[in-house]
Amino acid sequence: MLDVARCIVYRDLLLALRRLSDVGTALLFFVVVASLFPLGVGAEPDLLRAIGPGVIWVAALLSSLLSLGRLFSADHGDGTLEQMLLGAAPLPVVAAAKGLAHWLVAGLPLVLIAPLLALQYDLAAGLYGVLALSLLLGTPVLSLLGAIGAALTLGLRGGGVLLALLVLPLYVPVLILGAGSVDMAAAGLAPDGQLLVLGALAVLAAVFAPWAIAAALRISLE
Amino acid sequence: MSTAIRWFWFASPQTFLPLAGAIARWCALGAALLAAAGLYVGFFVAPTDAQQGEVYRIIFIHVPAAWMSMFLYLVMALWAAVGLAFNTRLSHMMARAIAPTGALFTFIALWTGSLWGKPTWGTYWVWDARLTSELILLFLYLGFMALQASIEDPRRSDRAGALLAIVGAVNVPIIYYSVQWWNTLHQGASVSLTRAPSMAAAMLTGMLLMALAFWLYSIAVTLVRVRCIILERQ
Amino acid sequence: MKPRHKRIAAIALGVAALGIATALVLTAFQKNLVFFFTPSQVAANEAPQGRTFRIGGMVVVGSLKRSGVDVSFAVTDTAKTIPVVYRGALPDLFREGKGVVAQGSLGDDGVFRAREVLAKHDENYMPPDAAHALEQAKKAQRTVQTR
Repeated sequence: MLDVARCIVYRDLLLALRRLSDVGTALLFFVVVASLFPLGVGAEPDLLRAIGPGVIWVAALLSSLLSLGRLFSADHGDGTLEQMLLGAAPLPVVAAAKGLAHWLVAGLPLVLIAPLLALQYDLAAGLYGVLALSLLLGTPVLSLLGAIGAALTLGLRGGGVLLALLVLPLYVPVLILGAGSVDMAAAGLAPDGQLLVLGALAVLAAVFAPWAIAAALRISLE
Repeated sequence: MSTAIRWFWFASPQTFLPLAGAIARWCALGAALLAAAGLYVGFFVAPTDAQQGEVYRIIFIHVPAAWMSMFLYLVMALWAAVGLAFNTRLSHMMARAIAPTGALFTFIALWTGSLWGKPTWGTYWVWDARLTSELILLFLYLGFMALQASIEDPRRSDRAGALLAIVGAVNVPIIYYSVQWWNTLHQGASVSLTRAPSMAAAMLTGMLLMALAFWLYSIAVTLVRVRCIILERQ
Repeated sequence: MKPRHKRIAAIALGVAALGIATALVLTAFQKNLVFFFTPSQVAANEAPQGRTFRIGGMVVVGSLKRSGVDVSFAVTDTAKTIPVVYRGALPDLFREGKGVVAQGSLGDDGVFRAREVLAKHDENYMPPDAAHALEQAKKAQRTVQTR
């Protein structure tokens, strides 16, 4: 069972590496969106410092949504997904593996790039760590919840926008806690509370979301 | 054995059709009567509020609508769960039928809340915890309806919507508490919009009457909608 | 693994996840979730020096003094009290004995110079986070007394 999981993760990573432009586009989107806000609201340092965490988090959300579209589409197109459905490995394990691969390719880079964007918003030095940690805990939740949406909207026309409409309300708690933790740190308070709850959400998502993703895949493919 | 058959007797859409019609008629009548009573109490019996004057009377629509919007989402998710568990078509049809009414009440709650906000707080929209949660709830309803509308195959449409409704229902408490916490974070939007004046008995009666009226209305409208769905799918 | 064992493993994993998540959330509630410092924390020098922060608590009854446009009052969490000075109009909902949050910085003389005063109004006479902060202060007081 773990062998299957390892294989799937490895395969997805390999495929992603071969189509680096797909991966790069979502990440570039993250950077561009975060860079657009100062152009829209003005470059006043106090304002930017205040909106920085929120903007970076929203940009991460949107970038995550973009990359979810291709989570299942390629495998669906060439029939691999049906094979996985019929295969011996339990579908939740397959779903978890795909989720992990997606996060490694589309979520983890966001965590690493975010400090650079924090520079643009002149965030205090002590906040970089909190920002990165909040994203580290939050992006897996985004990947997994988003995967449920991607599985439900598999093959539908208008799928991308529909996916956003379905998944964004579910993203709200992660956004509030993630941006909120950085705001707490900016106010001189400890962000522990928010980060702990984010951790709890990550644990719950990691264990229960694959089950929902598998159910959604079955519903979409039968 | 005979009790087992009777339990599922009305689970067949065909047998349910006439029953739904009958119940809908009675509920519609009840709803009209209760609404008349509720509005009478709300506008003529309940006293004027010391702080807010007559403006507060909009709570007789705002609060019951908000209650219904949340209640209906739970009921919808319940029918969805039953449908997935027992594979009964009628359960899925019920969930599908409830959604538009639930969305309507959410919209009414938001709209009346906004109208209440203008004279009392000087602005049409406040990022109050409850209003913000209602807004997200509206998005959840609309997402459900959009998903079901975009899937042609009825069976996949039913089941996909059902899973979405259940995932949404599980997330609603998490969303609510995170929005509440977020509201305390930014103390600027500090006054709770749904802080009703300290309840005189007449006010509470009025709200309960309206809530019951909305509930019966929802049942009536849902059953009419279910009848349409049953007939469509024959 | 036999299917039945797999089932049990899956359920065990689910229960474990719920347990861990609950533990994390409970720990979180013991941490400071509120967006302001309590007077006790300010008195203990936990608030950032020289920087803007928020202080929250209850306005001490009888502490409100006005002299022209300057206002002074005291904020307490029943354990410690911090004097506050503010220049400007207080919000309509500001009352003695009710919850308040003020944003500003602490002067060297231990007086909090507020730049903004917010009054959180609630069904209960005190905002829930201030009530929580008060509880924390009471708890801290009790542990000090038992020493």
